[in-house]
Amino acid sequence: MAPKLEIVHEKSKRYDWGFDYARPDPKFPTRYIIPPKGKDPFRVMMRGYAAMETEKDNRVYGGLDSNVRYRNANVAEPRFMEAMKFAIPAFTDAEYQAVTGAGFLIASVKNQELRQGFAGQMLDEVRHTQLEVALRKYYLKNYHDPAGFDIGQIALGNHPIGTLARASFQPFNTGDPIEVSMCLNVVLETAYTNPLVVALPQVAMLNGDHAMPTTFLSIQSDESRHMANGYGTLMCVVQEPDNVPFLQESLERHFWHQHQSMDTLVGVVSEYYSVHRPWAYRDVWEEWVVDDFVGSYMSRLGSFGLRPPDRLAEVARFVEDMHHSVAIGLAAMWPLNFWRIDPMVAADYEWFESHYPGWTARYGGLWDAYRAMSDPTSGRVLMQELPALPPFCQVCHVPCVMPRIDAPETRIFDYEGKRYAVCSEGCHWIFHLNPKIYTGCANWWERFDGMDLADVVLALGYVRPDGKTLMGQPHLNPDRMWTIDDIRRLEYEVKDPLKA
Amino acid sequence: MVTILPFGETIDVEPNESVLAAILRQGRFVKYGCKHGGCGTCRAEAVEGDYRLGDNTSFSLTDDDRARGIVLLCSTFPDGDGLVIDVSQTMDDLSEEQYLAGQRVQQYLATVDRLDTLTHDIRWLGLRLDEPPDIAFAAGQYIEVGVPGAVDQWRSYSMANPPSESGRVDLIVKLIPGGRFSAALRERLAIGDRLRLRGPLGSFGTRLSHRPMVMVAGGSGKAPILAMLKDLAATGNRRAVTFFYGARTDRDLFLLAELDELVSDNPWLTFIPALSEPQGNNGPWHGEVGLVTEVLARRLPSTKGMEAYLCGPPGMVDAVIDVLNASGCKERHIYFDRFVPSG
Repeated sequence: MAPKLEIVHEKSKRYDWGFDYARPDPKFPTRYIIPPKGKDPFRVMMRGYAAMETEKDNRVYGGLDSNVRYRNANVAEPRFMEAMKFAIPAFTDAEYQAVTGAGFLIASVKNQELRQGFAGQMLDEVRHTQLEVALRKYYLKNYHDPAGFDIGQIALGNHPIGTLARASFQPFNTGDPIEVSMCLNVVLETAYTNPLVVALPQVAMLNGDHAMPTTFLSIQSDESRHMANGYGTLMCVVQEPDNVPFLQESLERHFWHQHQSMDTLVGVVSEYYSVHRPWAYRDVWEEWVVDDFVGSYMSRLGSFGLRPPDRLAEVARFVEDMHHSVAIGLAAMWPLNFWRIDPMVAADYEWFESHYPGWTARYGGLWDAYRAMSDPTSGRVLMQELPALPPFCQVCHVPCVMPRIDAPETRIFDYEGKRYAVCSEGCHWIFHLNPKIYTGCANWWERFDGMDLADVVLALGYVRPDGKTLMGQPHLNPDRMWTIDDIRRLEYEVKDPLKA
Repeated sequence: MVTILPFGETIDVEPNESVLAAILRQGRFVKYGCKHGGCGTCRAEAVEGDYRLGDNTSFSLTDDDRARGIVLLCSTFPDGDGLVIDVSQTMDDLSEEQYLAGQRVQQYLATVDRLDTLTHDIRWLGLRLDEPPDIAFAAGQYIEVGVPGAVDQWRSYSMANPPSESGRVDLIVKLIPGGRFSAALRERLAIGDRLRLRGPLGSFGTRLSHRPMVMVAGGSGKAPILAMLKDLAATGNRRAVTFFYGARTDRDLFLLAELDELVSDNPWLTFIPALSEPQGNNGPWHGEVGLVTEVLARRLPSTKGMEAYLCGPPGMVDAVIDVLNASGCKERHIYFDRFVPSG
């Protein structure tokens, strides 16, 4: 008879050793005091865990096969499928950064039980990366307009707002190990995976895409392990009172940053790239982020002196509007996208007005203009009509149209002789916590300052195999596609808004 | 009904209610994540009894899991009353204290150290704890007081003092004609008398969030609200709170000076007392007039995005819930404690 899992797990923890004749420098230093106690409530053993994950993988690949047979990729709403061109690479970026994040934590946290948990997570994150690449391959091979799926990861890294993913997920494996866990396990995975991988698949299902939910619900089934890793790590370090101010600062920083990117990404995809909407994103956020993460999870940490993020009310204010602003921002600069954006129509206006009163007055005119300019014969694109291009936030990389495109709260400032823009007070605060993190990358417009828009599109590689038709289009009509010649005729020169 | 092991507690489950929803509704805590069968955080073992498992668990439970009776509490619906769930293996770091969510019920002996007449039918009963000398509770919770001279008769009253005052409990008691405890309080109880207590109990209390709060109370329902307001003040609250208190005439109003002081010290707090019968008072009434529901609807025509905390007679609580629903407050953000009279 095989020994009980609990016994094997206890035994495995003893296979740990250290130096007694020297104190090695930590590979990744931490400012936290890490007590030697810590629990992995899952008691994972790799052999059994890998078998379980294999079963999950098999189900997903079987599901993708049946989607091929039923030709579901072309049954799904094209409006939604276009979003997958940028959303899936963004998720894959998160998974990949998390693979290295789990490795980072294994190397940093000298606690054998927590390490076991992170080892399980590393296996999960590799699995998720592979599943998402398989999903993208399925879309590429089966969707009628694959342009953009083929270069998704590179295209995302070059896209003006796509760098949001890198900015958001790099902290999974950079900086202080405890803050890595705070960002990855606590804020992203505990607060935000439910909107990401439970709510978004609901949207996919309603819009006819069954492959995305098949993949992401399998991914979601691993998240409880990752949340447990975060909770285990947090409960371990929060016992030490000196750690609490650091944890509070870390929570504040990552909660604001992850909100900027996740609430933008999920809000935009679920409301602007769907025909059928199961809910308003703000309500999803209220339930999972406020009621569950803040109201339940955080309330159990209060006795240790840890309080909810101070900017929670500010986040709530942003969630009302920010995705509307970014959605029209993406539409306005559509030639710089590698996917197509369907114009909003009367039924959409009605839905938005009923769920976000005042929407029509604030955004309806902009969508009217976008729709009016969607045919190449219009000879105009919406970005030409803007008084100036918005800079991109140096911290979170969203365009500085936050929270409302008509009332942005942009802050422009100089640091060590260079000009920067941030989208909000929260990002301004984050920038000054550690400016070196954020000063290394150029502002997106700066890279292309003075270039003709057509040359920017060519430099980005966002053209189809014929070498002239743009990947990005301001509609879903395959017969009225814009070409690079149409863009060149605009004679639109990109100007860096931060240039003196 | 479902029994939760290893804690050995049996709790009610409504028809079509999941075991997780029933646990959380009754102020208990187990680990959970998505509540939709996706994440697997609320894994447990069904060791006895019948149940139905939602089909949204296809990824989170393997065939082997199902064969071993592993379930997800969020997707488990009892079939009959005999379901026994064991979380000891799947949530082995969940302590009884965490499960009880701070509701560790104990017996206490206490000495009466304050007896005040607040109105013609409401008394303040202050008790200093003797054994054990401290109590840990959350603002909004209640305690049971043993009726003097009776072996197993208890009356429930909410604490009016904040948890920081852990060496005592202060109660606001409405006198019920013919009530046994009411009679003792009116006629016999004196400073220095000893009373038996057991608690704390209940899950009423403020939730962490960013939302502005509306609080509505009537009668002795002011007690838990007072504790909650004092606790919010002590913990650096910044959320706006509007507290409506409904009474019939000005002889039913009490602790106004204490509330005025709270308002002047805490700019986030607005206090709106309302009288339904302002005629025949001791002096002119300059405050709101009408039933508390009417005043609430008038002063807060929209409660969208707010959290509500209601405490008082069941009729008042139900009527206020209707007003809140009509003015946009989400049902899941309305928390209440119905005070059922027991003398």
